Amino acid sequence: MAEEIAVIDKRTEEVTEASNEWQPTILGILCNWCSYAGADLAGSARLHYPETIRIIRVPCSGRVDPMFVLKGFQKGFDGVMVLGCHPGDCHYSKGNYYARRRIALVQSLLNSLGIPEERFHFEWVSASEGNRFAQLVTEFTEQIKALGPFEGVAKV
Amino acid sequence: MSDKIISKSEIQEYIKALAEKFTVVAPMPRRDAPAEFVEINSGDEPILDGSQPMMPPKDYLLPRYETLLKVDRGPEGIKIESTIPEDKPRVILGVWLPDAQAIQVLDRVFLDKNFVDPYYAARRRNTLIAAVIPREPRWSWFCASVDDVEEWRENVDAIFYDLGDRYFVEPKSEKGQALVNASIMTEASNEDKVEKDKVWQRFLEQDILPFARKALYEQLEWDNPIWAEIAQKCLGCGICSYMCPSCSCFDIRDDMHDICIERYRCRDTCQFEDFTLMGAGHNPRSTQLPRSRQRLLHKFKYQHEQFGVVGCTGCGRCVELCPVNVDIRDILSRTCANDTTEPVA
Amino acid sequence: MSEIENKIREEARKALESNEVALVIGWGEGSVPFKTTPVFVEKADDVGKLVWNEFCVNNLAVYLPKIARDRRVGIVAKPCDIRSIVTLIQEKQVKRENVFIIGLGCGGVVDATGPDASTPRQMCLVCKKREPAIYDVIIGEAVPLEESRANIVPELPEERQKYWVEQFSKCIRCYACRQICPACYCRLCFADRVEPRWTSRKATVDEAWMFHATRVMHLAGRCIQCGECERVCPVGVPVAELAREMAEVIKENYNYEAGDPKETAPVLGQFRENDVDPAQHIE
Repeated sequence: MAEEIAVIDKRTEEVTEASNEWQPTILGILCNWCSYAGADLAGSARLHYPETIRIIRVPCSGRVDPMFVLKGFQKGFDGVMVLGCHPGDCHYSKGNYYARRRIALVQSLLNSLGIPEERFHFEWVSASEGNRFAQLVTEFTEQIKALGPFEGVAKV
Repeated sequence: MSDKIISKSEIQEYIKALAEKFTVVAPMPRRDAPAEFVEINSGDEPILDGSQPMMPPKDYLLPRYETLLKVDRGPEGIKIESTIPEDKPRVILGVWLPDAQAIQVLDRVFLDKNFVDPYYAARRRNTLIAAVIPREPRWSWFCASVDDVEEWRENVDAIFYDLGDRYFVEPKSEKGQALVNASIMTEASNEDKVEKDKVWQRFLEQDILPFARKALYEQLEWDNPIWAEIAQKCLGCGICSYMCPSCSCFDIRDDMHDICIERYRCRDTCQFEDFTLMGAGHNPRSTQLPRSRQRLLHKFKYQHEQFGVVGCTGCGRCVELCPVNVDIRDILSRTCANDTTEPVA
Repeated sequence: MSEIENKIREEARKALESNEVALVIGWGEGSVPFKTTPVFVEKADDVGKLVWNEFCVNNLAVYLPKIARDRRVGIVAKPCDIRSIVTLIQEKQVKRENVFIIGLGCGGVVDATGPDASTPRQMCLVCKKREPAIYDVIIGEAVPLEESRANIVPELPEERQKYWVEQFSKCIRCYACRQICPACYCRLCFADRVEPRWTSRKATVDEAWMFHATRVMHLAGRCIQCGECERVCPVGVPVAELAREMAEVIKENYNYEAGDPKETAPVLGQFRENDVDPAQHIE
């Protein structure tokens, strides 16, 4: 565990050095057709959003296994974010409906385990919402900064 | 070598005196869980009278998870760091006698003349073992049925007999003398000796099972129908082997991180389905029957053949904790009952 | 108790004699008076081995996927065990026609660790369904249990995290909780996979956290809260508690209960358009 936190810490160090204050490291799991495309749009429009987010692309939010979220926290990410298509707009028509149930239960589990719910974020972002994506990452980063570094699931 | 008395109310002082020369390891109580052998600090209140369930002392000598080495790739190149623990004087207090004897079994495995395990040796070489004989033997103990426990007394460094408000401390080895030197102890009187003999007698009077010891080593056979009976209900969890004080199977794994590689050792058990799974996919013990058979033959037959000591020391944890009540005492009584040798009474 | 015991033996005998079943799974006398052990009775003359008392804790449904694969077996089952059987049937791990269920009304069972150390099984104290959901024969009546169970997990999130760290630090990864659970029938458990390695066998708190958290997710909508996982844990980790909390949320959000014969699909295998939406918007 210490080694894994060290990996995150090392990257955080590099980023923090550039900006003189602690920057969190956030895991983002984005669905390819909507939220990832939205992030892409933010990029091509040169909208600025924090470098704190590390994005993993999945075909659909329905692909998101609750284990991805749990593993993210176990590895020491300060925050985890899952983004998908708005209900009704899923590229595979139903994937995000299944994701709704799964994510709701992951949230409930994190709550049962005492992991602060502000460290996990779930939202719908469409392919045209580049602005919204940038704003969302900025605000989530601020939220995590206010909470401070995540000391791991094994902290006492 | 004189026997001493230490009053229970003065145990803290006694431990303080020991702590000047040794790192003291003793069972510490935990909420809703068996006590755990850990290095104690002054002010701690360990359970020294053997009256409560506890994790086996192997958890201290052979930890559940132990780093063997670390490889770092830093700016100066590759650096290998060994993590062999410090070889310092230690004493383990409050050890049940069957657990102390189990340490003898572990010693045969890890301190073999051909290969000494450096990690185990560092924790064991300069460690004194102080056994405790509680007021009443535990209901699940069957030590006296598997071996001559009088001989076991010679394998520890000192024995604490619980006489109620005090312990009768009997040094058994040269090194064990160090455990009766504390000035706070008093000489044991003849009355104390009589009390102590009574406590020992009660220990010997555990239920004696109806089999002969020789039968264990000679009669357990490959084809016995009892293996199928056990395998039908056994669920293949790791409770019996993980809680057994003499089971020591382990797995060695490497975890690779961006920055370093960690090689570690962790527990493994012959009861898991993947224990004998090989790289190419073949698994000689893919069903529960060969696994159940293996466990019992190893414990009672093979280890005796290999080391001259019985693998099982009758601590009873598997009996108490098995989720489906696979009771080893019952199994042995049924498989070895037909021996014509006189049973030990 | 002994009247029920006699009826169980009678039903088992009838089923064996008429060749309705190849064997009957039930509880037999344990090696000590305060335990029972699973028995597999194949001959009608051996039905005397079957017993019924407060120590009949094991959820015998755990044996069904393997033993009732190609033949009909009888099983003596408490209401919780029957909920497990319902789940196994729904998940196609056993066919309904391969199980002859001798259902029992139940008053809760007792977990005994020693001759003078017995407590009610913790999940029995919060059990609300004491009648068998399905059965082929039914013996006895549900007995209401008077006791209830105090909250064991702290309320505040920070204290909760500390509580679970303390509990998981005890975990020795023996996997008894997994092996005893009828819902854990995967041939290759995620915890045993090396590729990808979700969790390693390191007995550290964070690895234990990952194992138990994932197991609860995998049991979502499938755990019928018999509490066997907690009972068998050698170090007293209250693993059933997380699953119980999850089951409460599932009931509240989706009106779904595991082990209910009217359900046709797993809770995570279906959805409604008006499901509660967990999406958040940061203000």
